[in-house]
Amino acid sequence: MRKMSQLKKIFNKGDLAVTAECGPPKGADPEAIFKKAELLRGKADAINVTDNQTAIVRMSSLAACGLLISAGLEPVLQVVVRDRNRIALQSDILGASAMGIKNVLCLSGDHQSFGNQPQAMGVFDLDSIQLIQVVKTMRDEGTIWGGGPLTKSPELFIGAVANPFADPLEFRPVRLAKKIRAGADFIQTQCVYNLDKFEEWMNMARERGLTEQVNILAGVTPLKSSNMAKYMKKRVSGIDIPDELIKRMEETPKNRQRDEGINICLETIQRLKEIQGIRGFHIMAIEWEEAVGEIVERAGLLPRPSFDQD
Amino acid sequence: MITAEQKPIDKIREMIAPYKRILALGCGSCVAECAAGGEKETAMLASTLRMAAKLDGRDILIHEKTVDRQCVKDFILPLDDIIDQYDAVLSLGCGAGVQAVAEIFSAVPIIPALNTEFIGETRDQGYWVENCVGCGDCVLYDFGGICPLTRCAKHLLNGPCGGSRDGKCEVDPEVPCAWQLIIERLSKFNALDRLEKIYQPKDWSMKQGLGPRNIIREDQQR
Amino acid sequence: MDEKHTQKLALFYCERTPKSSEQDKQSLEQKYGKSIRLFPIPCSGRIESLHLLRALEEFADAAYLTTCPEGECRYFEGNLRAKKRVQRAQEIIKSIGLEGERIGIVMNEHKKSLARQAEEIMRSISHLCPSPVRSPHR
Repeated sequence: MRKMSQLKKIFNKGDLAVTAECGPPKGADPEAIFKKAELLRGKADAINVTDNQTAIVRMSSLAACGLLISAGLEPVLQVVVRDRNRIALQSDILGASAMGIKNVLCLSGDHQSFGNQPQAMGVFDLDSIQLIQVVKTMRDEGTIWGGGPLTKSPELFIGAVANPFADPLEFRPVRLAKKIRAGADFIQTQCVYNLDKFEEWMNMARERGLTEQVNILAGVTPLKSSNMAKYMKKRVSGIDIPDELIKRMEETPKNRQRDEGINICLETIQRLKEIQGIRGFHIMAIEWEEAVGEIVERAGLLPRPSFDQD
Repeated sequence: MITAEQKPIDKIREMIAPYKRILALGCGSCVAECAAGGEKETAMLASTLRMAAKLDGRDILIHEKTVDRQCVKDFILPLDDIIDQYDAVLSLGCGAGVQAVAEIFSAVPIIPALNTEFIGETRDQGYWVENCVGCGDCVLYDFGGICPLTRCAKHLLNGPCGGSRDGKCEVDPEVPCAWQLIIERLSKFNALDRLEKIYQPKDWSMKQGLGPRNIIREDQQR
Repeated sequence: MDEKHTQKLALFYCERTPKSSEQDKQSLEQKYGKSIRLFPIPCSGRIESLHLLRALEEFADAAYLTTCPEGECRYFEGNLRAKKRVQRAQEIIKSIGLEGERIGIVMNEHKKSLARQAEEIMRSISHLCPSPVRSPHR
């Protein structure tokens, strides 16, 4: 009998889960993954591996997940629909399950014009919601899309993203409902800084009964500097950083800004813990994986549970 | 209509360089509407190329003629009377027109003066915008008359993605998020609940076809 | 006087230009002879980029348009549209290597007469050499 997804086990128990993120290198060196793996070992229940994020060519998420498995960690395979058609996507899903990957996160992906291959064709044969449906069909009905039988179904815990801060705000809970109906088991949100707005979104989700139907992990990202905060506010869509936080970072001396960023992150986690329906945290400390360890420790989230073989 | 834009003049000069007697052939339909290849534009291009030839010290002949539609065989056939006078045709038709002419007058080299771009509308004077990708299975009713395949940069059928900013697409702050528009439009009709259903994956085979797509209507044949 | 004006100017002008009657036109043509060809149009907005290109191609060293002052076009936007078309024609001739000043527009802010404008424009193009793209014998 295969081991169940660690995330799924924790949710079944009713505990808070922790996931972190790992970006593959812009090169063929597996050491880059192993180094990050060591920084994250024991700090999170599962580790997301991004899929050519920002449309920049990196080692494939599938391969990097395989490397994490060989290092004894549990990955979450991120799959964007920008680069592959439904044949390739389903093929990768089968391969992922065969390799022992137990979690998959289905995303649209940033538009190809953002990255370093802007002349590439953006595929988008399926959208993220259709992909969730396809994976669920493969897992629960044992067929590919369209009904052809599989010799063995993939076993995957299905995730999707939610952005409580993107336009149009009132529609976001509808989209969340669609993802759940399509088959999402867990949701990771975009990183939270504006807690009032996030609570509003959670309220809308709760009113629709969605918080009972899916496991929501709130995203958090520690700010490294006031410049990073200003950059994110200005340039990255779907990120809402209140002015008071920016001011707070600006008023901190430069050599202490990283510490302050972690403090803000911890305060955010504390408030998030009190929101009904939050089932855990997704810590995205991009190119700052060392911070994850400090954050989970100070947030009282260590040690991460380990389960016996089932 | 089909929209197009004139190729850079240097490129056109390069392509016509081997020829001495050229017919600049315009089209009175789509490319006239988008001011790229109609009678006026054909006259302007011909005049410009004649002046350019003088600057190059070349002695060439460029005549102008515009047909109603360059993509209809019956409208092109009459050119048979004059085609022998020329050693090349510079077509200001869209890609369909260029190829239709090439098909009929296969012995004459044909040079495209335009780059064909998209199916679109004249949204305002001097402003043309793409609004159809010719998917072969129109779903405009479901989306309040706004095509997500064309106007959403990721052609999502269950949009929006999380990337829009102030109602504009993540790809270009000038471009409205198609899903924002769809949601607003359907709200006007009180039909927003239409978007609660999960739209199934598109049958792209109706767009891709098995090679170039075609339509055959026997009731329209001779 | 005429020896200096060896340029051939095609001058398009709005009918409402001060002192631009048929009589005024004829006396100007007498004065400048072959150096100038005058084209009255009902409104400067009726100019097409094509007219300016064809003038250069056929006989002119320079093709100019004078218009009513900004804000005073009888048809409101005629002179503004004219401005854009002149600009387009300028871009086109520059793209093949001709001097952009062979095409121009003068918005008649000070309400000068046709004769006065003709004189000023002839002076402003006097440094241009004969156009290399002009048809000979015209």
